[in-house]
Amino acid sequence: MHHYLIKRTAYLILTLVIASMFTFVVVNATPGEPAEVLARHLYIGLEEVAPPELIAEVSERYDLNKPLLQQYLEWVGGILHGDLGHSILFNKPVDRLLMLHLPPTILLTAVAMSFATIAGLVLGIYSALHQNKISDHIIRVGTIFSVSMPGFWVAVMLILVFSIWLGLTPVSGYSGPQYIILPAIALGLHTMASIIRIMRTSMLETMDKPFVTFAKAKGLPMRRVICSHACKNAFLPVLTVIGMSFGALLAGSVVIETIFSWPGIGAMLMKAISARDLVLIESTIMVIVFMFLIVNFVIDLLYHVIDPRITYE
Amino acid sequence: MNILEVSELNVAFPTRRGLVRASQNVNFSVKEGEICVLIGETGSGKSVIGQAVLHLLPQNARVSGSVRYAGEEILLISEQKFSRLRGHEISLIPQNPTGSLDPLMRCGQQVAEVLDVCGVPKEEHSSRTTSILSALSFSDPELVAASYPHELSGGMRQRLTTGIALAASPRLLVADEPTKGLDYAARKRTIEMFLNLKRRGTDSVLMITHDLELAEMIADQAGVLYSGELVEFGPAADVFSSPLHPYTKGLMAALPKNGMTPMPGMCPGLAQLPDGCYFHDRCPTPCEENHVHPLMHEVCGRQVRCSRC
Repeated sequence: MHHYLIKRTAYLILTLVIASMFTFVVVNATPGEPAEVLARHLYIGLEEVAPPELIAEVSERYDLNKPLLQQYLEWVGGILHGDLGHSILFNKPVDRLLMLHLPPTILLTAVAMSFATIAGLVLGIYSALHQNKISDHIIRVGTIFSVSMPGFWVAVMLILVFSIWLGLTPVSGYSGPQYIILPAIALGLHTMASIIRIMRTSMLETMDKPFVTFAKAKGLPMRRVICSHACKNAFLPVLTVIGMSFGALLAGSVVIETIFSWPGIGAMLMKAISARDLVLIESTIMVIVFMFLIVNFVIDLLYHVIDPRITYE
Repeated sequence: MNILEVSELNVAFPTRRGLVRASQNVNFSVKEGEICVLIGETGSGKSVIGQAVLHLLPQNARVSGSVRYAGEEILLISEQKFSRLRGHEISLIPQNPTGSLDPLMRCGQQVAEVLDVCGVPKEEHSSRTTSILSALSFSDPELVAASYPHELSGGMRQRLTTGIALAASPRLLVADEPTKGLDYAARKRTIEMFLNLKRRGTDSVLMITHDLELAEMIADQAGVLYSGELVEFGPAADVFSSPLHPYTKGLMAALPKNGMTPMPGMCPGLAQLPDGCYFHDRCPTPCEENHVHPLMHEVCGRQVRCSRC
């Protein structure tokens, strides 16, 4: 087990190093001279053309003239010393911004994930147990719909129906529990649909397994056959989907947070990208990657807790 | 007294290629304390009989006829009523011990579930489980109870599933191909276990198998199935020593000790059964009136479905 933990930690560090290189290269290779975009965002209007002197001044002030390798090493070196850098756009240290904006994102992702998991499992099991009945068909149509519709469209439709027509929920903002309902549904719907599909298939497969037949033959009531034998075994493949979906949720939060004016890192990242606030983009992405890796690490450990056949040597 | 009476049992499955009649007008009975073996090749409809008795058929199965357990009709009763019989009155020795154990549950708990169903109080579960496991000659029952199925050997799993089936001392055991897919050693142990049951003489067993050697060793009554129908049923010693139906004769001749003479042809598909005798095409001594479906009739104390006998 110790050996496994050491190995996993080494992989985690390696992944972070590779991710930092990718992030840095991609951010710098994005079309549009960073100094020019920054100059337009900070000093003049977005639709105006920045004069060369201003671009030169901005480059000079924010060290954008230095060779890329040097910029990269300075950024990584800072992170290793616990300094995530300084945001040009907000004129604040990145760690301060993250402390402010990370909790709303973690809250939103956690609520969306819980919603997706609970609703996904319940509907997936229900659908499997009512295979080819009307309720199963309705759930399957809903699943295909949820998987195919883009998150931003779902978000706008939810606002239209629940906030504007029915007046049940606030349109956007972050000042009470009722504000999280729509963004969490909009963010989690896609994941919920994936979980329903996997759980339904897995449940149908498990219900045909000999140990389920034998559990029935033992005289266990159907409820108990399903709860203590079938569901637990059918859940294993869903766990993988949950780990993978966490990345999709973090990525989806960028759009959803912007639509619902949710003060998370997604909305902040959106602003940072349009203004080419390089250090803020890079450091925020590194934090997201780190969270994704930690969640998947925990899920790998959960496998072992649920399935005794999996051991980590 | 008959513990199990199956009469006019029909099981069919609707499929795209038509109705598959897996079992047709099957009649037989199992006496208390007797071992009744149903023999047949793959696709002869022998497993669905066991599943019908235990209410384990797939949901799309169409079932008719009658199955009486200790005089009580059980075939078409509700699942709720039937689940009271499962486990403690009628239990199953499954055909695949490895697949029949829940991989995520400790073995002791899987035994204790049966005790729970029978109303044994929770605090007695662990002591009862230990005694059940030691009766199955496990040297360290506590260790086995705390293990997961994948930590046991194939033979241990076989003993464990048998132990679970016997845990509540059921009156009728249904064994569905207990030797299928087992290696030589495990098969030998299984046969010994059934010989022990036979020696004890108190258990009633309905066994379904294609293992003719096993059947010959343990059966009191034997039935031979062909294309979903019983073609011969009677005392096992007679069926094995002097088979009457040409199909039974063919099966016996195909045994290694009888010269391993294979039977020509294949059995007809269950979706397109001929009108007359199902065995006509393969029969070494075919009769002229093949368009008439032969009925079961009694010959020398046995039931045979052949117009020649």
